[in-house]
Amino acid sequence: MIDVKNLSKTFGDNHVLKDITEHIDKGEKVVIVGPSGSGKSTFLRCLNLLETPTSGEIWFEGTKITDPKCNVDMLRRKMGMVFQHFNLFPHLTILDNITLAPVKLKLATKEQATQNAMQLLGRIGLADKADTYPSMISGGQKQRIAIVRALAMNPDVMLFDEPTSALDPEMVGEVLSLMKELADDGMTMVVVTHEMGFAREVATRCLFMDEGSIMEQAPPEEFFSHPKNPRLQDFLSKVL
Amino acid sequence: MEAFFDYLATSFYNTFIYQNRYLLFLEGLGNTILIAIFATLIGVILGILVAIVRVYSAQTGKLKWLDWICSVYLAVIRGTPTVVQLMIAYFMIFSFIDNTILVSVLAFGINSGAYVAEIVRGGILSVDKGQTEAGRSLGLSAATTMRSIVLPQAFKSCLPSLGNEFITILKETSVAGYIPVMDLTKAADLVRSRTMDPFFSLISIALVYLVLVLGMNAIFKAIERRMAKSDRR
Repeated sequence: MIDVKNLSKTFGDNHVLKDITEHIDKGEKVVIVGPSGSGKSTFLRCLNLLETPTSGEIWFEGTKITDPKCNVDMLRRKMGMVFQHFNLFPHLTILDNITLAPVKLKLATKEQATQNAMQLLGRIGLADKADTYPSMISGGQKQRIAIVRALAMNPDVMLFDEPTSALDPEMVGEVLSLMKELADDGMTMVVVTHEMGFAREVATRCLFMDEGSIMEQAPPEEFFSHPKNPRLQDFLSKVL
Repeated sequence: MEAFFDYLATSFYNTFIYQNRYLLFLEGLGNTILIAIFATLIGVILGILVAIVRVYSAQTGKLKWLDWICSVYLAVIRGTPTVVQLMIAYFMIFSFIDNTILVSVLAFGINSGAYVAEIVRGGILSVDKGQTEAGRSLGLSAATTMRSIVLPQAFKSCLPSLGNEFITILKETSVAGYIPVMDLTKAADLVRSRTMDPFFSLISIALVYLVLVLGMNAIFKAIERRMAKSDRR
């Protein structure tokens, strides 16, 4: 579904991603872990071109999206993204946050989009918040709504950029369980996170990134119990 | 004491009643409001366009030449006196336009656009980058993201400065009389020169400006309250 070939990204002299080649299949739940500054967020943000790769190719569903002629907006409709800081639109109600994109892009009428949004909100138990504003709800609720906002576009893949890192500890659980539900429904997911429990439980494959490269990858059992790369061993000993 | 009241009565009569001079004040007031409203409109449209060009150019490195034109526009307008700009507009640039009110609307509008542009640019820059990223990640175009997500938030944060600018425009129209326009100040000055008595003509228009500004203030307070709806907890 996603093919990354020789992807590199530099910011000035800083080599953030070094020649990464990776393939992600439909239905996979890929969890990327690694120390901060290892390039994992940059890698994720390259996948939907929020960062422009310096060199290399990215293919998504048979389209070369790094081609300058590629319609980025069309591609992003199929790639949902969830941010560390939620990035809900503070000037819009919860309902309008969710319906804005489908309505503006004429994928649904206002009524259809509203109906769909209410159904999604019902699923996460927040239907009663539809007419409130983002400033009036908790961090965990904000992040779950951000996930639902992305889901309203019916994406084929969901990208999560440290979705629980800005949350108070007691709110992490509600967000992770929604992500787990999503995984159980068969959504293709790429998740950058520090939640090792989530990685162990939900991931079909774990990637360890350090210094702009993927140093090791394995299914979670092997990844956590028999890490081979000394850096990964060191990293796991610090976070587990 | 009685002599003083007599003087006041005579002065008031001469300033407003005699030869229906109040009509002159009314005409001036009408023109002042007309010029202020349309100059504000032009200023806002021009300002938003210039601000978007400058932000877009700074972020993407495209439209360099348009950005350069905008910089020159800002430097010239903000670096020269409004009255001088007005006279250049009347005697030179727009000398082919007979309607002097239209000329002053254009001059004040173009002048205000430069100040509005910087206010709006500050507003746009104050909106978190994550907002744009969230909009774009949903598949919205750069233009739709700007219009539906960034500008409404930018507008909210620059509303106080924008209100200030609109008040400045209203007061600045008082120099419109440097070209043949009968604005409120020109009307008062004309009457003053005929009555040889400055008291009522000048104090009365000062009060009118003050009331207009207080009214605008009240409107802006109301809009700010309305827009604060989304950040009540």
